[in-house]
Amino acid sequence: MTSVECPDLEDLFNALEAGEGSALEHAGQCPLCTAIIEEHRLLEQDLYRLADPLPPPDLVHKVMARVAAEPTPARRELVTGLSILAASVVAGLGLLLFSDAALSGASTSLARLVVDGTALFEALLSGAHALWSTAAGPVAALLSLILFSSLFALKRLAGTGPTPSEA
Amino acid sequence: MLMADEATAPPWKASVVAARRGDPSAFEQLVRSVQRPVYGLALRLLGNEAEAAEVSQEAFLRAYQNLHRYDESRPFDLWVMAITRNLCLDLLRRRTKVKTEELEPMKEILPSMEASLEEGAIARQERQSLEEALNTLSADDREVLALYYVQRRTTKEIAQVLGCAPGTIMARLFRAREKLRKKMTTEEPT
Ligand SMILES: [Zn+2]
Repeated sequence: MTSVECPDLEDLFNALEAGEGSALEHAGQCPLCTAIIEEHRLLEQDLYRLADPLPPPDLVHKVMARVAAEPTPARRELVTGLSILAASVVAGLGLLLFSDAALSGASTSLARLVVDGTALFEALLSGAHALWSTAAGPVAALLSLILFSSLFALKRLAGTGPTPSEA
Repeated sequence: MLMADEATAPPWKASVVAARRGDPSAFEQLVRSVQRPVYGLALRLLGNEAEAAEVSQEAFLRAYQNLHRYDESRPFDLWVMAITRNLCLDLLRRRTKVKTEELEPMKEILPSMEASLEEGAIARQERQSLEEALNTLSADDREVLALYYVQRRTTKEIAQVLGCAPGTIMARLFRAREKLRKKMTTEEPT
């Protein structure tokens, strides 16, 4: 009945949560532990009574005033999409131009190219997704051009590069 | 393009889609619907009304700026609250860097004041001492208590706001509550 034999509080509450355990059996007979559990229960009751304060009444207006000075999310999306696509064009052309030099046989360059290819693919995907929702029609032609150029690059890689099993 | 997901679409989705296209009233509606938990969390973390209001504004602005990156399957309120929390923690970190001491004691800044008209003097006093004890806890403890008890969030929702595993929340809650219990028992005048 002394606190020496009381379980660690954390163990006690784990047991309470689980609904079983030696700590729980102990607590059933120990006034000390019972008192602590009761205090926690009362504390929980009080905590549940607290409420969030109301925000200042002008919060929404202030937010909307700042929002009004921003470009619309769609426009922001378009800009982001365009810059991603521009980056993928550069990456695609780079892949096309430098693939021969990079493929001189070392397996390290193969690894690098695989990484480049994946990044290009991801960039293409996200760029296409971003643009599709805002300007699907005009972008389609551009997209297919880039897709073809990167497909061509990949084809050349597949044709001239060592196979993965060699690497 | 819109298919069967219309029926199961989360309530905030239509507003998010409209806001993305640049409809300000749709975004305003989103702000209205989540401003209270957002401001409430900020006030719990910062303990200062002016700062909480400023951070809430900033959080909504960031949400607007990043609306195209927001994943609508995730509850909108939890997303904005996670942004708010990060801003608050940044501010708290900067605060401790600037000056560790001489922070205004936040005794008067006690949330849930509007409830005080309905309750008796004793209950009000009890709630105030609980709020005061709460304010002396660390931000980590305060946020988990506020989200669970005040906002009545599930452990899964809390985990989304805090960016941690749901399984860790109950243990954090218990530890925070135990610290609070100790504060309350040492403060008790009798
Ligand atoms: Zn015991």
